[in-house]
Amino acid sequence: MKYALLVYSDQADWEGVDDDEAARRRAESMPRWLNLFEEMDRVDPHVAGKELVAATEAKVVRIVDGETIVTDGPFAETKEQIGGLFLTTLPDLDEAIRIASLVPAAEYGSLEVRPIVER
Amino acid sequence: MTQSLEATFREEWPRAVGILTRVLGDLSLAEDAVQDAFATALERWPRDGMPRSPGAWIVATARNGAIDRIRRERTFARKAELLARLEAVPGDEEADVSSIPDERLALLFTCCHPALAVDARIALTLREVAGLQTPEIARAFLVTESALAQRLVRAKRRLRETGIPFRVPPDHLLPDRLSDVLRVLYLVFNEGYAATAGDVLVRRELCAEAVRLAKLVCVLMPDEPEALGLLALLLLQDARRDARIGPDGELVLLADQNRSLWDRTSIDEGLRVLDRAESLRRPGPYQLQAVIAAGHAEGASPEVIVAAYAALERLDPSPIVRLNRAVAVALAGDVEEGLALIDGIDGLEGYSYLASARADLLRRLGRRAEAAHEYREALALTDNAPERRFLERRLREVAREA
Repeated sequence: MKYALLVYSDQADWEGVDDDEAARRRAESMPRWLNLFEEMDRVDPHVAGKELVAATEAKVVRIVDGETIVTDGPFAETKEQIGGLFLTTLPDLDEAIRIASLVPAAEYGSLEVRPIVER
Repeated sequence: MTQSLEATFREEWPRAVGILTRVLGDLSLAEDAVQDAFATALERWPRDGMPRSPGAWIVATARNGAIDRIRRERTFARKAELLARLEAVPGDEEADVSSIPDERLALLFTCCHPALAVDARIALTLREVAGLQTPEIARAFLVTESALAQRLVRAKRRLRETGIPFRVPPDHLLPDRLSDVLRVLYLVFNEGYAATAGDVLVRRELCAEAVRLAKLVCVLMPDEPEALGLLALLLLQDARRDARIGPDGELVLLADQNRSLWDRTSIDEGLRVLDRAESLRRPGPYQLQAVIAAGHAEGASPEVIVAAYAALERLDPSPIVRLNRAVAVALAGDVEEGLALIDGIDGLEGYSYLASARADLLRRLGRRAEAAHEYREALALTDNAPERRFLERRLREVAREA
Protein backbone atom coordinates (compact mmCIF):
# COMPACT_ATOMS: atom_id res chain seq x y z
CA MET A 1 0.00 0.00 0.00
CA LYS A 2 1.12 3.53 -0.74
CA TYR A 3 0.58 6.11 1.97
CA ALA A 4 0.99 9.85 2.32
CA LEU A 5 2.02 10.83 5.83
CA LEU A 6 1.06 14.48 6.20
CA VAL A 7 2.86 16.39 8.93
CA TYR A 8 0.78 19.05 10.66
CA SER A 9 2.01 21.56 13.18
CA ASP A 10 1.08 24.92 14.59
CA GLN A 11 3.08 27.63 12.85
CA ALA A 12 2.29 30.03 15.68
CA ASP A 13 4.68 28.02 17.83
CA TRP A 14 7.52 29.38 15.71
CA GLU A 15 6.40 32.99 15.54
CA GLY A 16 8.68 35.39 17.38
CA VAL A 17 11.21 32.62 17.90
CA ASP A 18 14.72 33.99 17.30
CA ASP A 19 17.34 32.15 15.28
CA ASP A 20 19.22 30.85 18.31
CA GLU A 21 16.08 29.41 19.85
CA ALA A 22 15.03 27.88 16.51
CA ALA A 23 18.47 26.30 16.12
CA ARG A 24 18.30 24.97 19.67
CA ARG A 25 14.87 23.39 19.07
CA ARG A 26 16.02 21.83 15.82
CA ALA A 27 19.15 20.41 17.43
CA GLU A 28 17.05 19.02 20.25
CA SER A 29 14.73 17.06 17.97
CA MET A 30 17.48 16.09 15.51
CA PRO A 31 18.29 12.67 17.01
CA ARG A 32 14.64 11.66 16.68
CA TRP A 33 14.46 12.85 13.07
CA LEU A 34 17.63 10.90 12.27
CA ASN A 35 16.14 7.85 13.91
CA LEU A 36 12.99 8.31 11.81
CA PHE A 37 14.95 8.65 8.55
CA GLU A 38 16.97 5.56 9.34
CA GLU A 39 13.85 3.53 10.10
CA MET A 40 12.05 4.84 7.00
CA ASP A 41 15.01 3.94 4.82
CA ARG A 42 14.97 0.47 6.28
CA VAL A 43 11.25 -0.19 5.67
CA ASP A 44 11.02 1.67 2.34
CA PRO A 45 14.26 2.68 0.56
CA HIS A 46 12.16 4.64 -1.97
CA VAL A 47 10.47 6.85 0.58
CA ALA A 48 10.19 10.50 -0.44
CA GLY A 49 9.94 13.26 2.13
CA LYS A 50 9.71 17.02 1.73
CA GLU A 51 9.51 19.92 4.13
CA LEU A 52 7.33 22.83 3.06
CA VAL A 53 8.03 26.55 3.48
CA ALA A 54 5.81 28.16 6.12
CA ALA A 55 2.12 28.27 5.21
CA THR A 56 2.20 32.06 5.66
CA GLU A 57 4.13 32.16 2.37
CA ALA A 58 1.51 30.14 0.49
CA LYS A 59 -0.79 31.44 -2.24
CA VAL A 60 -4.29 30.08 -2.69
CA VAL A 61 -5.57 29.89 -6.27
CA ARG A 62 -9.25 29.56 -7.17
CA ILE A 63 -11.25 30.09 -10.28
CA VAL A 64 -14.48 31.95 -9.59
CA ASP A 65 -16.82 32.61 -12.54
CA GLY A 66 -13.96 31.93 -14.93
CA GLU A 67 -11.66 34.43 -13.22
CA THR A 68 -8.46 33.36 -11.46
CA ILE A 69 -8.39 34.65 -7.91
CA VAL A 70 -5.13 34.52 -5.97
CA THR A 71 -5.13 35.15 -2.25
CA ASP A 72 -2.68 34.76 0.59
CA GLY A 73 -3.27 31.63 2.47
CA PRO A 74 -4.18 29.23 3.45
CA PHE A 75 -6.68 29.95 6.16
CA ALA A 76 -5.63 31.87 9.20
CA GLU A 77 -8.29 30.30 11.40
CA THR A 78 -6.95 26.76 11.06
CA LYS A 79 -4.39 26.35 13.78
CA GLU A 80 -2.39 23.44 12.36
CA GLN A 81 -0.96 23.65 8.85
CA ILE A 82 0.79 21.09 6.69
CA GLY A 83 4.50 21.51 7.22
CA GLY A 84 5.72 18.58 5.19
CA LEU A 85 4.87 15.18 3.84
CA PHE A 86 6.23 11.72 3.19
CA LEU A 87 5.23 9.39 0.37
CA THR A 88 5.97 5.79 1.19
CA THR A 89 5.04 2.21 0.38
CA LEU A 90 4.37 0.08 3.44
CA PRO A 91 2.84 -3.36 4.06
CA ASP A 92 -0.27 -2.16 5.88
CA LEU A 93 -2.01 0.45 8.00
CA ASP A 94 -0.49 -0.82 11.26
CA GLU A 95 2.99 -0.19 9.87
CA ALA A 96 1.98 3.23 8.51
CA ILE A 97 0.70 4.20 11.96
CA ARG A 98 3.90 2.95 13.59
CA ILE A 99 6.08 5.01 11.24
CA ALA A 100 3.86 8.08 11.66
CA SER A 101 4.24 7.81 15.42
CA LEU A 102 8.02 8.02 15.01
CA VAL A 103 7.78 11.47 13.38
CA PRO A 104 8.81 13.99 16.07
CA ALA A 105 6.05 16.37 14.93
CA ALA A 106 3.50 13.81 16.21
CA GLU A 107 4.44 15.06 19.68
CA TYR A 108 3.84 18.78 19.14
CA GLY A 109 1.55 18.61 16.10
CA SER A 110 -0.14 15.68 14.42
CA LEU A 111 0.36 13.18 11.63
CA GLU A 112 -2.30 12.33 9.11
CA VAL A 113 -2.02 8.89 7.51
CA ARG A 114 -3.71 8.96 4.09
CA PRO A 115 -3.70 5.91 1.83
CA ILE A 116 -2.99 6.82 -1.81
CA VAL A 117 -5.47 5.67 -4.44
CA GLU A 118 -3.96 3.05 -6.72
CA ARG A 119 -5.57 2.20 -10.02
CA MET B 1 -33.25 -23.67 5.29
CA THR B 2 -33.16 -26.71 7.52
CA GLN B 3 -31.62 -26.56 10.96
CA SER B 4 -28.59 -28.67 10.12
CA LEU B 5 -27.91 -26.87 6.85
CA GLU B 6 -28.10 -23.54 8.63
CA ALA B 7 -25.78 -24.75 11.38
CA THR B 8 -23.30 -26.02 8.80
CA PHE B 9 -23.40 -22.71 6.97
CA ARG B 10 -22.78 -20.76 10.16
CA GLU B 11 -19.90 -23.02 11.08
CA GLU B 12 -18.26 -23.09 7.64
CA TRP B 13 -18.77 -19.45 6.68
CA PRO B 14 -15.92 -17.91 8.74
CA ARG B 15 -13.61 -20.79 7.92
CA ALA B 16 -14.13 -20.42 4.17
CA VAL B 17 -14.14 -16.60 4.18
CA GLY B 18 -10.92 -16.66 6.22
CA ILE B 19 -9.14 -19.03 3.86
CA LEU B 20 -10.24 -17.15 0.74
CA THR B 21 -9.40 -13.75 2.25
CA ARG B 22 -5.91 -14.97 3.04
CA VAL B 23 -5.45 -16.07 -0.58
CA LEU B 24 -7.18 -13.17 -2.34
CA GLY B 25 -6.12 -10.46 0.08
CA ASP B 26 -9.61 -8.94 -0.09
CA LEU B 27 -12.52 -9.71 2.19
CA SER B 28 -15.20 -8.58 -0.29
CA LEU B 29 -13.88 -10.82 -3.06
CA ALA B 30 -13.64 -13.72 -0.65
CA GLU B 31 -17.15 -13.15 0.63
CA ASP B 32 -18.61 -13.06 -2.89
CA ALA B 33 -16.92 -16.36 -3.73
CA VAL B 34 -18.12 -18.04 -0.54
CA GLN B 35 -21.62 -16.62 -0.97
CA ASP B 36 -21.79 -18.16 -4.46
CA ALA B 37 -20.60 -21.50 -3.09
CA PHE B 38 -23.31 -21.41 -0.44
CA ALA B 39 -25.94 -20.64 -3.08
CA THR B 40 -24.76 -23.67 -5.05
CA ALA B 41 -24.85 -25.78 -1.89
CA LEU B 42 -28.37 -24.67 -1.13
CA GLU B 43 -29.38 -25.88 -4.58
CA ARG B 44 -27.47 -29.17 -4.61
CA TRP B 45 -27.24 -30.48 -1.06
CA PRO B 46 -30.95 -31.03 -0.52
CA ARG B 47 -31.06 -32.86 -3.88
CA ASP B 48 -27.78 -34.83 -3.85
CA GLY B 49 -27.31 -35.13 -0.10
CA MET B 50 -24.71 -33.48 2.13
CA PRO B 51 -21.12 -33.89 0.93
CA ARG B 52 -18.86 -35.99 3.10
CA SER B 53 -16.83 -32.99 4.14
CA PRO B 54 -19.06 -29.88 3.85
CA GLY B 55 -16.17 -27.56 4.75
CA ALA B 56 -13.89 -28.86 2.01
CA TRP B 57 -16.77 -28.78 -0.46
CA ILE B 58 -17.49 -25.10 0.31
CA VAL B 59 -13.81 -24.10 0.08
CA ALA B 60 -13.29 -26.00 -3.20
CA THR B 61 -16.48 -24.62 -4.76
CA ALA B 62 -15.68 -21.07 -3.63
CA ARG B 63 -12.16 -21.41 -5.02
CA ASN B 64 -13.38 -22.70 -8.39
CA GLY B 65 -16.03 -19.98 -8.53
CA ALA B 66 -13.42 -17.32 -7.74
CA ILE B 67 -11.16 -18.62 -10.52
CA ASP B 68 -14.05 -18.38 -13.04
CA ARG B 69 -15.01 -14.97 -11.80
CA ILE B 70 -11.47 -13.59 -12.01
CA ARG B 71 -10.87 -15.11 -15.47
CA ARG B 72 -14.01 -13.37 -16.77
CA GLU B 73 -13.04 -10.08 -15.19
CA ARG B 74 -10.86 -8.33 -17.77
CA THR B 75 -9.91 -5.32 -15.71
CA PHE B 76 -8.33 -7.09 -12.77
CA ALA B 77 -4.84 -5.63 -12.45
CA ARG B 78 -3.48 -8.58 -10.50
CA LYS B 79 -5.36 -11.25 -12.44
CA ALA B 80 -2.45 -13.63 -13.04
CA GLU B 81 -1.21 -13.29 -9.48
CA LEU B 82 -4.65 -13.95 -7.97
CA LEU B 83 -5.21 -16.98 -10.20
CA ALA B 84 -1.83 -18.40 -9.22
CA ARG B 85 -2.63 -17.93 -5.57
CA LEU B 86 -6.01 -19.61 -5.91
CA GLU B 87 -4.29 -22.62 -7.47
CA ALA B 88 -2.71 -23.19 -4.07
CA VAL B 89 -6.12 -23.84 -2.48
CA PRO B 90 -7.34 -27.44 -2.73
CA GLY B 91 -9.94 -27.69 -5.50
CA ASP B 92 -10.88 -31.17 -4.38
CA GLU B 93 -14.29 -31.39 -2.75
CA GLU B 94 -13.19 -34.33 -0.64
CA ALA B 95 -9.94 -32.73 0.54
CA ASP B 96 -9.10 -32.63 4.21
CA VAL B 97 -10.00 -29.05 5.10
CA SER B 98 -8.18 -29.33 8.41
CA SER B 99 -4.90 -29.35 6.47
CA ILE B 100 -5.54 -25.72 5.48
CA PRO B 101 -4.48 -23.23 8.19
CA ASP B 102 -7.38 -21.94 10.28
CA GLU B 103 -7.71 -18.25 9.44
CA ARG B 104 -10.68 -17.49 11.68
CA LEU B 105 -8.54 -15.71 14.25
CA ALA B 106 -7.01 -13.44 11.58
CA LEU B 107 -10.54 -12.77 10.35
CA LEU B 108 -11.68 -11.83 13.85
CA PHE B 109 -8.72 -9.50 14.48
CA THR B 110 -9.28 -7.83 11.11
CA CYS B 111 -12.98 -7.30 11.76
CA CYS B 112 -12.16 -5.75 15.15
CA HIS B 113 -9.36 -3.47 13.90
CA PRO B 114 -9.35 -0.12 15.76
CA ALA B 115 -9.27 1.82 12.46
CA LEU B 116 -12.91 0.76 11.98
CA ALA B 117 -15.76 2.49 13.80
CA VAL B 118 -17.04 0.45 16.74
CA ASP B 119 -20.44 -0.07 15.05
CA ALA B 120 -18.68 -1.36 11.96
CA ARG B 121 -16.51 -3.76 14.00
CA ILE B 122 -19.59 -5.24 15.65
CA ALA B 123 -21.50 -5.63 12.38
CA LEU B 124 -18.51 -7.11 10.53
CA THR B 125 -17.72 -9.54 13.33
CA LEU B 126 -21.31 -10.80 13.45
CA ARG B 127 -21.47 -11.10 9.66
CA GLU B 128 -18.07 -12.62 8.91
CA VAL B 129 -17.01 -14.46 12.05
CA ALA B 130 -20.37 -15.45 13.50
CA GLY B 131 -21.81 -16.01 10.01
CA LEU B 132 -25.08 -14.19 10.77
CA GLN B 133 -27.12 -12.92 7.84
CA THR B 134 -27.48 -9.18 7.27
CA PRO B 135 -31.25 -9.13 8.09
CA GLU B 136 -30.61 -10.94 11.40
CA ILE B 137 -27.99 -8.39 12.44
CA ALA B 138 -30.19 -5.50 11.31
CA ARG B 139 -33.06 -6.81 13.48
CA ALA B 140 -30.82 -7.19 16.49
CA PHE B 141 -29.62 -3.60 16.25
CA LEU B 142 -32.98 -2.13 15.23
CA VAL B 143 -31.68 -0.66 12.00
CA THR B 144 -32.99 -1.23 8.50
CA GLU B 145 -31.42 -3.93 6.39
CA SER B 146 -30.22 -1.41 3.85
CA ALA B 147 -28.59 0.70 6.57
CA LEU B 148 -26.79 -2.34 7.91
CA ALA B 149 -25.77 -3.49 4.44
CA GLN B 150 -24.34 -0.01 3.84
CA ARG B 151 -22.43 -0.18 7.10
CA LEU B 152 -20.89 -3.48 6.03
CA VAL B 153 -20.01 -2.21 2.55
CA ARG B 154 -18.33 0.88 3.99
CA ALA B 155 -16.39 -1.21 6.51
CA LYS B 156 -15.14 -3.57 3.82
CA ARG B 157 -14.16 -0.64 1.63
CA ARG B 158 -12.18 0.82 4.49
CA LEU B 159 -10.44 -2.51 5.09
CA ARG B 160 -9.31 -2.49 1.48
CA GLU B 161 -8.57 1.20 0.95
CA THR B 162 -6.65 1.90 4.12
CA GLY B 163 -4.65 -1.31 4.12
CA ILE B 164 -5.96 -2.85 7.35
CA PRO B 165 -3.93 -6.08 7.55
CA PHE B 166 -5.48 -9.54 7.51
CA ARG B 167 -3.56 -11.30 10.26
CA VAL B 168 -3.21 -12.08 13.92
CA PRO B 169 -1.25 -9.02 15.14
CA PRO B 170 2.44 -9.38 16.01
CA ASP B 171 3.41 -9.62 19.68
CA HIS B 172 3.97 -5.91 20.26
CA LEU B 173 0.41 -5.10 19.14
CA LEU B 174 -1.29 -8.23 20.43
CA PRO B 175 -2.29 -7.15 23.96
CA ASP B 176 -4.05 -4.00 22.70
CA ARG B 177 -5.65 -5.74 19.77
CA LEU B 178 -6.86 -8.67 21.82
CA SER B 179 -8.52 -6.24 24.18
CA ASP B 180 -10.20 -4.58 21.16
CA VAL B 181 -11.52 -8.00 20.09
CA LEU B 182 -12.76 -8.84 23.59
CA ARG B 183 -14.44 -5.46 23.83
CA VAL B 184 -16.40 -6.10 20.63
CA LEU B 185 -17.58 -9.48 21.99
CA TYR B 186 -18.51 -7.83 25.29
CA LEU B 187 -20.52 -5.15 23.42
CA VAL B 188 -22.32 -7.80 21.38
CA PHE B 189 -23.24 -9.61 24.58
CA ASN B 190 -24.37 -6.44 26.31
CA GLU B 191 -26.50 -5.44 23.38
CA GLY B 192 -28.32 -8.74 23.83
CA TYR B 193 -28.32 -8.63 27.62
CA ALA B 194 -29.11 -5.03 28.49
CA ALA B 195 -31.89 -5.00 25.89
CA THR B 196 -32.38 -1.29 25.39
CA ALA B 197 -35.31 -2.32 23.20
CA GLY B 198 -36.31 -4.90 20.67
CA ASP B 199 -37.15 -8.51 20.05
CA VAL B 200 -36.37 -10.88 22.95
CA LEU B 201 -35.44 -13.86 20.78
CA VAL B 202 -33.06 -11.88 18.61
CA ARG B 203 -31.39 -10.50 21.70
CA ARG B 204 -31.02 -13.93 23.23
CA GLU B 205 -29.32 -14.94 20.00
CA LEU B 206 -26.82 -12.08 20.34
CA CYS B 207 -25.79 -13.29 23.81
CA ALA B 208 -25.40 -16.82 22.49
CA GLU B 209 -23.25 -15.50 19.60
CA ALA B 210 -21.01 -13.55 21.96
CA VAL B 211 -20.50 -16.71 24.06
CA ARG B 212 -19.79 -18.76 20.93
CA LEU B 213 -17.23 -16.21 19.67
CA ALA B 214 -15.57 -15.98 23.08
CA LYS B 215 -15.26 -19.77 23.08
CA LEU B 216 -13.68 -19.61 19.63
CA VAL B 217 -11.08 -17.09 20.90
CA CYS B 218 -10.35 -19.32 23.91
CA VAL B 219 -9.91 -22.38 21.71
CA LEU B 220 -7.60 -20.56 19.32
CA MET B 221 -5.73 -18.62 22.04
CA PRO B 222 -5.91 -20.94 25.05
CA ASP B 223 -3.35 -19.11 27.20
CA GLU B 224 -4.91 -15.66 27.25
CA PRO B 225 -6.33 -15.15 30.76
CA GLU B 226 -8.48 -12.17 29.82
CA ALA B 227 -10.10 -14.07 26.95
CA LEU B 228 -10.94 -16.84 29.43
CA GLY B 229 -12.05 -14.17 31.92
CA LEU B 230 -14.46 -12.71 29.38
CA LEU B 231 -15.84 -16.13 28.48
CA ALA B 232 -16.36 -16.94 32.18
CA LEU B 233 -18.07 -13.58 32.71
CA LEU B 234 -20.41 -14.07 29.76
CA LEU B 235 -21.32 -17.62 30.81
CA LEU B 236 -22.04 -16.53 34.38
CA GLN B 237 -24.13 -13.54 33.26
CA ASP B 238 -25.99 -15.52 30.63
CA ALA B 239 -26.87 -18.17 33.23
CA ARG B 240 -29.07 -15.64 35.02
CA ARG B 241 -30.86 -14.38 31.93
CA ASP B 242 -34.20 -16.16 32.54
CA ALA B 243 -34.35 -15.03 36.15
CA ARG B 244 -33.80 -11.36 35.35
CA ILE B 245 -37.19 -10.70 33.86
CA GLY B 246 -40.35 -11.65 35.74
CA PRO B 247 -43.55 -13.16 34.30
CA ASP B 248 -44.95 -9.71 33.46
CA GLY B 249 -41.77 -8.54 31.80
CA GLU B 250 -40.60 -6.63 34.87
CA LEU B 251 -36.98 -6.41 35.95
CA VAL B 252 -36.06 -8.69 38.85
CA LEU B 253 -33.05 -7.61 40.91
CA LEU B 254 -30.35 -10.11 41.75
CA ALA B 255 -31.38 -10.45 45.40
CA ASP B 256 -34.98 -11.23 44.43
CA GLN B 257 -34.24 -13.67 41.61
CA ASN B 258 -35.56 -17.20 41.63
CA ARG B 259 -32.36 -19.18 41.70
CA SER B 260 -33.98 -22.28 40.29
CA LEU B 261 -34.22 -20.31 37.03
CA TRP B 262 -30.45 -19.93 36.89
CA ASP B 263 -28.78 -22.16 34.33
CA ARG B 264 -26.59 -24.41 36.47
CA THR B 265 -24.69 -25.92 33.52
CA SER B 266 -23.68 -22.49 32.30
CA ILE B 267 -22.64 -21.43 35.83
CA ASP B 268 -20.50 -24.56 36.29
CA GLU B 269 -18.86 -24.01 32.93
CA GLY B 270 -18.22 -20.36 33.80
CA LEU B 271 -16.63 -21.34 37.11
CA ARG B 272 -14.37 -23.90 35.40
CA VAL B 273 -13.26 -21.37 32.80
CA LEU B 274 -12.60 -18.81 35.54
CA ASP B 275 -10.46 -21.34 37.42
CA ARG B 276 -8.41 -21.90 34.32
CA ALA B 277 -8.03 -18.10 33.79
CA GLU B 278 -6.92 -17.55 37.38
CA SER B 279 -4.41 -20.40 37.18
CA LEU B 280 -2.51 -18.32 34.58
CA ARG B 281 -1.91 -15.67 37.27
CA ARG B 282 -2.32 -12.56 35.14
CA PRO B 283 -5.39 -10.84 36.55
CA GLY B 284 -7.34 -8.35 34.47
CA PRO B 285 -10.66 -6.50 34.41
CA TYR B 286 -12.69 -9.28 32.75
CA GLN B 287 -11.40 -11.87 35.18
CA LEU B 288 -12.31 -9.64 38.12
CA GLN B 289 -15.77 -9.02 36.72
CA ALA B 290 -16.10 -12.78 36.35
CA VAL B 291 -15.00 -13.19 39.99
CA ILE B 292 -17.81 -10.81 40.98
CA ALA B 293 -20.34 -12.65 38.80
CA ALA B 294 -19.15 -15.95 40.29
CA GLY B 295 -19.57 -14.49 43.77
CA HIS B 296 -23.17 -13.60 42.97
CA ALA B 297 -23.83 -17.01 41.46
CA GLU B 298 -22.43 -18.83 44.47
CA GLY B 299 -23.95 -16.55 47.06
CA ALA B 300 -20.60 -15.17 48.28
CA SER B 301 -20.68 -12.74 51.18
CA PRO B 302 -21.13 -9.04 50.31
CA GLU B 303 -17.62 -8.36 51.67
CA VAL B 304 -16.12 -10.68 49.05
CA ILE B 305 -17.96 -8.78 46.32
CA VAL B 306 -16.79 -5.43 47.72
CA ALA B 307 -13.19 -6.65 47.78
CA ALA B 308 -13.41 -7.81 44.16
CA TYR B 309 -14.83 -4.43 43.13
CA ALA B 310 -12.01 -2.66 44.98
CA ALA B 311 -9.47 -4.76 43.04
CA LEU B 312 -11.30 -4.01 39.82
CA GLU B 313 -11.29 -0.29 40.58
CA ARG B 314 -7.51 -0.38 41.02
CA LEU B 315 -7.15 -1.83 37.50
CA ASP B 316 -9.91 0.20 35.92
CA PRO B 317 -10.84 3.34 37.89
CA SER B 318 -13.64 4.27 35.46
CA PRO B 319 -16.80 5.99 36.77
CA ILE B 320 -18.93 2.90 35.96
CA VAL B 321 -16.69 0.65 38.05
CA ARG B 322 -16.75 3.19 40.87
CA LEU B 323 -20.54 3.28 40.72
CA ASN B 324 -20.74 -0.51 40.93
CA ARG B 325 -18.34 -0.57 43.85
CA ALA B 326 -20.39 2.10 45.65
CA VAL B 327 -23.54 -0.02 45.24
CA ALA B 328 -21.67 -3.11 46.48
CA VAL B 329 -20.53 -1.20 49.57
CA ALA B 330 -24.13 -0.14 50.25
CA LEU B 331 -25.43 -3.70 49.76
CA ALA B 332 -22.77 -4.93 52.18
CA GLY B 333 -24.47 -2.81 54.83
CA ASP B 334 -22.87 0.62 54.72
CA VAL B 335 -25.53 2.55 52.82
CA GLU B 336 -24.30 5.98 53.95
CA GLU B 337 -20.79 5.19 52.73
CA GLY B 338 -22.16 3.88 49.41
CA LEU B 339 -24.11 7.10 48.92
CA ALA B 340 -21.05 9.20 49.72
CA LEU B 341 -19.04 7.20 47.15
CA ILE B 342 -21.73 7.79 44.53
CA ASP B 343 -21.76 11.51 45.25
CA GLY B 344 -18.02 11.56 44.63
CA ILE B 345 -18.31 10.18 41.08
CA ASP B 346 -17.79 12.56 38.16
CA GLY B 347 -18.48 11.83 34.53
CA LEU B 348 -21.76 9.89 34.69
CA GLU B 349 -24.13 12.82 34.22
CA GLY B 350 -27.18 11.68 32.28
CA TYR B 351 -26.55 7.99 33.08
CA SER B 352 -29.81 6.42 34.21
CA TYR B 353 -28.15 3.83 36.48
CA LEU B 354 -26.42 6.57 38.48
CA ALA B 355 -29.81 8.14 39.24
CA SER B 356 -31.49 4.79 39.94
CA ALA B 357 -28.65 3.65 42.23
CA ARG B 358 -28.78 6.91 44.16
CA ALA B 359 -32.57 6.60 44.34
CA ASP B 360 -32.32 3.09 45.76
CA LEU B 361 -29.82 4.07 48.46
CA LEU B 362 -31.88 7.13 49.45
CA ARG B 363 -34.92 4.84 49.67
CA ARG B 364 -33.03 2.45 51.95
CA LEU B 365 -32.08 5.40 54.16
CA GLY B 366 -35.73 6.45 54.36
CA ARG B 367 -35.05 9.76 52.56
CA ARG B 368 -38.15 9.27 50.42
CA ALA B 369 -38.65 12.71 48.90
CA GLU B 370 -35.07 12.74 47.63
CA ALA B 371 -35.47 9.15 46.43
CA ALA B 372 -38.61 10.08 44.48
CA HIS B 373 -36.71 12.92 42.81
CA GLU B 374 -33.94 10.51 41.72
CA TYR B 375 -36.43 7.90 40.45
CA ARG B 376 -38.00 10.59 38.28
CA GLU B 377 -34.54 11.54 37.07
CA ALA B 378 -33.77 7.90 36.18
CA LEU B 379 -37.12 7.53 34.40
CA ALA B 380 -36.33 10.55 32.28
CA LEU B 381 -33.12 8.85 31.16
CA THR B 382 -34.25 5.37 30.07
CA ASP B 383 -36.50 3.96 27.35
CA ASN B 384 -36.07 0.34 28.42
CA ALA B 385 -39.61 -0.89 29.13
CA PRO B 386 -38.91 -3.43 31.93
CA GLU B 387 -36.59 -0.96 33.65
CA ARG B 388 -39.19 1.79 33.38
CA ARG B 389 -41.86 -0.41 34.95
CA PHE B 390 -39.50 -1.26 37.78
CA LEU B 391 -38.63 2.41 38.40
CA GLU B 392 -42.27 3.47 38.23
CA ARG B 393 -43.23 0.85 40.82
CA ARG B 394 -40.50 2.03 43.17
CA LEU B 395 -41.46 5.65 42.58
CA ARG B 396 -45.07 4.88 43.55
CA GLU B 397 -43.88 3.15 46.73
CA VAL B 398 -41.69 5.99 47.94
CA ALA B 399 -44.22 8.62 46.88
CA ARG B 400 -46.96 6.81 48.81
CA GLU B 401 -44.90 6.48 51.95
CA ALA B 402 -43.45 10.00 51.77
